[in-house]
Amino acid sequence: MTFSISIRVIALVSALLCAVIATAQTPAPSPKKLPAAPQVVTIIHRLNGLKMFRLLLRSEQVQSIAALDSAFNLMDDVHTNVIAGLAMDDGETIVAWLPEAEVEFGPPGVRLRTMPRPPKAPRAPTQMFPRAGSDLLDAPDLTVIGPDGKSLAARYIGLDAVTGLSILKVENKNAVPASAIHDELVNTGETVLLFGPEQVTKTRPVLARMGALEGRVQDVLPAPSGGIARFKVSGPRLSQANIGRVAVNQAGETVGIIDGLEGGEASILPVALIKRAAQRVLERQASVPRPWLGVQGEAVAELKVDQILNHGWELNRAAALAGKPRGVMLTWIVPGSPAELAALRVGDVILKIDDKDIQTAADFTWWLEQARPSSSVEFTVARPDRLAEEPLNVKLSGMLDRSFNFKWRSRFTPPKGFSLMDQGIETIALKPLVASQLGTTAGLLVVYVDPVTAAFEAGLEPGDVIQTINGKPVLAFKPTTQPASFKFEIVRKKEKRIVTVPAKKK
Amino acid sequence: MRKNNCELIRRELDELMLGEAHSSAATHHLRECASCREFHEQTTKLRHIVGSLGTVEAPADFDFRLRARLASQASSSVSSIYWPFARRGLALAAMVLLFATGAVVLRNILDKPASVNEVAQQPKVEQPPQKQVEELPVAKENGARTAVIANAGENDTQSIRKLSRPRPDYKKRSVAAMDFSSERANVIGEAGPVGVPAAFPIDASLQSFKVSLNDERGNEKTISVPTISFGSQRIVQGGNQFAPKRDW
Repeated sequence: MTFSISIRVIALVSALLCAVIATAQTPAPSPKKLPAAPQVVTIIHRLNGLKMFRLLLRSEQVQSIAALDSAFNLMDDVHTNVIAGLAMDDGETIVAWLPEAEVEFGPPGVRLRTMPRPPKAPRAPTQMFPRAGSDLLDAPDLTVIGPDGKSLAARYIGLDAVTGLSILKVENKNAVPASAIHDELVNTGETVLLFGPEQVTKTRPVLARMGALEGRVQDVLPAPSGGIARFKVSGPRLSQANIGRVAVNQAGETVGIIDGLEGGEASILPVALIKRAAQRVLERQASVPRPWLGVQGEAVAELKVDQILNHGWELNRAAALAGKPRGVMLTWIVPGSPAELAALRVGDVILKIDDKDIQTAADFTWWLEQARPSSSVEFTVARPDRLAEEPLNVKLSGMLDRSFNFKWRSRFTPPKGFSLMDQGIETIALKPLVASQLGTTAGLLVVYVDPVTAAFEAGLEPGDVIQTINGKPVLAFKPTTQPASFKFEIVRKKEKRIVTVPAKKK
Repeated sequence: MRKNNCELIRRELDELMLGEAHSSAATHHLRECASCREFHEQTTKLRHIVGSLGTVEAPADFDFRLRARLASQASSSVSSIYWPFARRGLALAAMVLLFATGAVVLRNILDKPASVNEVAQQPKVEQPPQKQVEELPVAKENGARTAVIANAGENDTQSIRKLSRPRPDYKKRSVAAMDFSSERANVIGEAGPVGVPAAFPIDASLQSFKVSLNDERGNEKTISVPTISFGSQRIVQGGNQFAPKRDW
């Protein structure tokens, strides 16, 4: 018994000693330390059911909706994206790389036929979608969370299609800290922190906090016209999901935003180009398309002789081209594009733009992006069937998305040539069961109406369900000749209406 | 744009007694919202069905049988066998915890003068005397924490050092735990070289998006989209933002 008590006392004393030693040795629990970067804010972009259909329609080969979750409401939010934003030095402009920005615009692949002139005075927020009612449905739903955790209402100004950056303005000026954004020099080997919001809790309430990944600058790519075009950053935890993070140096100064990821390395858009993108959109107070030529191609330096031969070049000329590679060879011309209108052909090699030499694909991208959409540029072209180089004047067009995808046109163009998309109306078919769930009958659900079309002017809205066109059920409407106007019988909020739209001439 | 009324209205309808009238807001909402109307009808129907059931009489020996079962479960419980040992263990653990806490508190108390000494032993930084005289009242006005080293030595103007910091210097403290309760939480916007990002709630979408779609070949597939996503990972595959950059 005594022995047992002694053992217990010894054990107790040992435990106490261990506890005291442990408290002496253990350092203070250090919280995760980050350099202050108050210029990095959090953007919350919400999508309602209608926009989600729009996204699905454009992303997938989807024709109709067969079933919906019970209690689904078209106008309720179904998805929230949380991403980093960069507060610019005026204290109200925010720049962010929104992954679903395209859902706020017309369908991909639609060329801008005419470039609207910049307005004389800044437009009011609702003028992006000017008609009352529709603006509530279609206006981008954005919130900015400042560095102090406060939520701020923000309005979408526009997308800069050259960089893929969205420009926002917070409603209260100076609600975000006006930090100086300098054109900082970036050096290879320098450590940068990539800031972005991270999820803390998965259960509700969902909590987030600003986090940072560490990366190292691997390569700085100079721009052909001087300055930095991009720089590459490597890091152990980089993934596609990190695009949009804000890169900050050790001194807490912004150095760029991630705009791509290739081979485990992040491509960083430098501050100078971010500022230029913001300036472009703010001057216009609207989205700025990228200059569009309508071609695909490869730098000649990347091609082998047999690949050059396959594009119509004779052996000796192909060998000469491969021996002293320069320019970009065109491998595909989009039908109806500015390239086709300017008589550019597959196999042509563009050697110069406005007397600037093209060596790589990056050079071509750079110089093309320097031109304004709908402006004219002078190409110097080498052709398979001509010995001499030729000058060629090309009038560019504009494109809001970063690539072109013409599958939508084949999806929506019936054999006889009628297409609602040609009228600026994007739709998805509703099966009877789904239609009844949404409080309507089967038909075509309008998910987008181009704001510069007669359909928009006539009052057609996203969320309307088209039942008949010119008195015929919508799926059976296949006119042999284009009618002068379209009489749409629609259901809006369970009420039947007639909307007459003058047909757009092809 | 956000319509979270459905949830509120349904909660109200759930809490109503059978036959009790609902609010005018609920009436108005039910007039417009088909799904809530259906929910209300189903709930009411269910209550009527439950209400129409007769009273079920418990058997006479129900009380006795229940007590007997509880007693048999308690006697067979493993915990009851080990309870005396567990009680001693708990007492011992409480003692250890008490001593450990005491040790930490004691160490904290002993550590404070040590940190002051540590600061006092640091090499003196030469500062213009005029600047020091100007800084002291400012520190008082701001209410910033000011530590003045009294052991000045021969030249007071050189040995008096002021440490004006917005929060403790973590690197110089070797204590096991610090009390941050009197300080406000660090946020990323706070000035200073060290910042701890504060967590903030996200008002995520309440409605889930699960939909069956038919593709152009007549195949049906179901897509479920998460209610929240972080970063640039796209929620729907096949988008255009990551398309090859060889398109001009």
